[in-house]
Amino acid sequence: MKKDNSSFSVTKLPISARPWFIYIILAPIFFILLGYVVYPLYRVFIDSFYVDGKFSLELYKRFFSLSSMTNIQATWNSLYISVLSVISCGIVGTALAFLLESYEFPGRKVLKAFAVIPMALPSLIGAISFDFLYGSTGIIPRGLKEIFGLANVPFYLKGIAGVIVVHTFTMYTYFYLPISAALRNRDSSLEEAALNLGASKGQVFRRVTLPMLTPSLIAASLLVFMISMASYTAPLIYGIDRTLTMQIVLSRTNGDLGMASTQSTILTVISVAFLIIMRLYEGKRNYASVSKGAAVHRKEVKSQFKKTLAIVASIIVVIILLLPILTIILISFSEDGTWTYQVLPPKYTITHYVELFTNAKTWRPIKNSLIMSLIATTGNVIFGVMVAYAVNRVKFKGKGIIDKLIMVPWALPGTVVGISLIAAFNVPSVFSFGKVIVATFWIIPLAYFVRHLPLIYRSTYAAFSQTDTSCEEAARGLGANWWYSFCRVVLPMVAGGIASGAILGFVQGIGEFVASILLYTPRSVPISVAIYQKMYSFNFGTACAYGVLQIVLVAILLLISEKLKGDSKISAI
Amino acid sequence: MKKMWNKIVMILFAMTLLAIFTVGCSKKEDKTKSTDANSTQSNEKKEEAGAGEEAKEKTTKEKTIVTVYTGRDSAVLEYIEPLFEEAHPEYDVEFLNMGAQEILERVRGEKENPQGDFWWGGTQAAFEIASSEDLLEVYRPSFADSFPEEYKDAGDRWYGEILLPEVIMYNTDMLTGDDIPKDWEDLLDARYKDQILIRNVLPSGTMRTIYSCMIAKEDASNPEKGYEWLRKLDANTKEYTQDPTNLYLKMTRQEGSLSLWNLQDIMIQKMTNNQPFGYVMPESGAPILVDAVAIVKGAKNLEGAKAFYEFIFNDKIRLDLAENMFQIPAQANIPKEQLPQWIQDLDLRAMEVNWKVIAEKEMEWMTYWDENIKDKN
Repeated sequence: MKKDNSSFSVTKLPISARPWFIYIILAPIFFILLGYVVYPLYRVFIDSFYVDGKFSLELYKRFFSLSSMTNIQATWNSLYISVLSVISCGIVGTALAFLLESYEFPGRKVLKAFAVIPMALPSLIGAISFDFLYGSTGIIPRGLKEIFGLANVPFYLKGIAGVIVVHTFTMYTYFYLPISAALRNRDSSLEEAALNLGASKGQVFRRVTLPMLTPSLIAASLLVFMISMASYTAPLIYGIDRTLTMQIVLSRTNGDLGMASTQSTILTVISVAFLIIMRLYEGKRNYASVSKGAAVHRKEVKSQFKKTLAIVASIIVVIILLLPILTIILISFSEDGTWTYQVLPPKYTITHYVELFTNAKTWRPIKNSLIMSLIATTGNVIFGVMVAYAVNRVKFKGKGIIDKLIMVPWALPGTVVGISLIAAFNVPSVFSFGKVIVATFWIIPLAYFVRHLPLIYRSTYAAFSQTDTSCEEAARGLGANWWYSFCRVVLPMVAGGIASGAILGFVQGIGEFVASILLYTPRSVPISVAIYQKMYSFNFGTACAYGVLQIVLVAILLLISEKLKGDSKISAI
Repeated sequence: MKKMWNKIVMILFAMTLLAIFTVGCSKKEDKTKSTDANSTQSNEKKEEAGAGEEAKEKTTKEKTIVTVYTGRDSAVLEYIEPLFEEAHPEYDVEFLNMGAQEILERVRGEKENPQGDFWWGGTQAAFEIASSEDLLEVYRPSFADSFPEEYKDAGDRWYGEILLPEVIMYNTDMLTGDDIPKDWEDLLDARYKDQILIRNVLPSGTMRTIYSCMIAKEDASNPEKGYEWLRKLDANTKEYTQDPTNLYLKMTRQEGSLSLWNLQDIMIQKMTNNQPFGYVMPESGAPILVDAVAIVKGAKNLEGAKAFYEFIFNDKIRLDLAENMFQIPAQANIPKEQLPQWIQDLDLRAMEVNWKVIAEKEMEWMTYWDENIKDKN
């Protein structure tokens, strides 16, 4: 059949070149982007301008009112926390990268393996573990107090400092990973040349090494800044009410929905502004060095003293990295409600785990999380492939708009996603097919879908742009129809990139808390919300058992994704 | 290319495993549920042979779930759940435990598509607001006639279940004798600076009520005096904790010695969890809150909600809860000598409170407090 076709209808246009084909692909893309990204934001935006059904700037006046300052202070705090988080993540991540990439010392390999551990820690359980460890009633401060017989705890983490420490722990990898990659791939001949020309070590670092790292540093700073602005769990656990994300939720709790919309709008504006800066910068930063010089050599640490020091320091760092997870594991075995004034939980049991796997009710949050993430990820993959293919392979107007729109949810804080979905879908609308989807099972998968859209789109897009279009053309030239060549040629080539992105999206879904806490229904409680509820009811053991399961799931999936990425050399972000 | 396909297969395999894992577990759930449903059905057959159609449906379906939004302590929930499910095997009760204000927000948010059936425990003010926004189902329970006017809604939308005195809470290991404050005013004393811990106010019905009562007590028509009072209290407050659990933990761990909280939860922590807590009935009187219940408008399991409603108002259960869970029944028709000893010994001093004003002004006052007083002194 194929042969017949090719010989007789040479002039027949390939399906993808026909004028109507574009619209088949584009219609659902625009429908989804407009319906689930733009429309919800638009609803929130509109709500912020209406008081009692009339147009008014009243809410903005209140936001910027100098008499109460609450919202200004919240904005200030959010910015302040974000800037400090960037600085502190930058220092920790960059220092670690330099240490691990420039020096050879005993313990380096172990340290390197453990340096990415924080990535396996979902935000809520991470913040909780820090509170258990270093809070005013935490294990470490109280342990020290007991051991040294002090009258008061020697130190503890609280308030903004606590938030920043948690941010540093969970986000330094955003610096560490790109900087180590940049250091590994840098052209060391440039540094050597500078040294030979008589520059001092300091000068080489300032004038040669640092400029080579600047693009990664700036990109990582913007990313950490954006994520810190959106952070909700750390301020929640440390009781910092005065951040924008917390204020949004508090306004809602207080029944002040208009104010919640105003705060959301302002937070959205700030976040999207940063996204735009970031994209602009990304567009400019492709100035890799021309030659690939000699491989970078790590300096070996030789003196015995320094070696010992390196071992001790590595052990301490590894312990610090592992402690949060160990704490969660320890507490997951503690009996609920028994741990009060003691340094460590006094009674242990395995009932929490037995319960998890035998009691259908306790199992349900895990099942919910898996199913809801799976639904969202499936949607993301289908949609991501559609968009990435269209943007990459089909010519049409409005490409730029799609590419920009799809990245917007990346900048949106989970709180804003939650609030905007509620605003858009608590009444029937075209995009929800005339149904109310707030307070149904479907609202959370939808939120995950929206939140993880950019993640999966970007990895899919990267996969598409790294494969050669000529393969597809060749397949079609040989007579395969569009569908056949898409399934047998295009998809297999991008499968690795898609899969690693899909797994990352799935992992995000498993750990998601911020939007879920606003949207869950009694029947669709995800793991993170279950953890939060158990913490509320003093069931620390059960909460941590959920946490352990969450960490295990995330770690396994990340390993698989890492393996895929390593094979196909396609980076997801 | 082949390698890629292998990968896809691998991923699909992993995902399928996950799916099987979950489905497998849910099957188990279904099985237990359907056997329960079978026994339910046989029970029901004896009772109502006529409802064949429904019973048939039930054998294929699971038992129906009654979703209860509640602000009660988890100890109360763990206590009541087996009792209710034993008396009503056809229902499976599920609790969603949160602050009373959060329940209001949730019910409001779900107005178009109600998910909760029954609202167990919340302040009168919250129920007044919910009534005015038409979020509650009108239901006249069987005991309605014997119920005193002041503890119920005239339109049968909510009924007061218990009386909840809001009192001063203190750590008995830290404060004794003259160190214990005697009245609300004492809390402002400089010697209690950084001794007071407060449960985060906005999500908590209890805290909102206490603070609103303090404002109303000073001057209900002009809140400025009350704000001043709260400013002084804020100055003495060390920390606002994110939930009750953290309030108890921090009190136990002696991070602070004082709080303002409701009597029932203090008693539960003291008696069932052995926490070193005591309470003071303030000399000028405690705001005595009517803690109420209601059926959520449009409840999916209306019958279940009604069953739960009637169940918790059953005299035996009320006495049981009074004895073990420290609830003071609001209904006056239980003879005093039947009530547990601790209630008979209780020296209840009620503060004069105009609840209508509080329901009306609470949001305004609390917004002001949050924006202008909290953490600023």
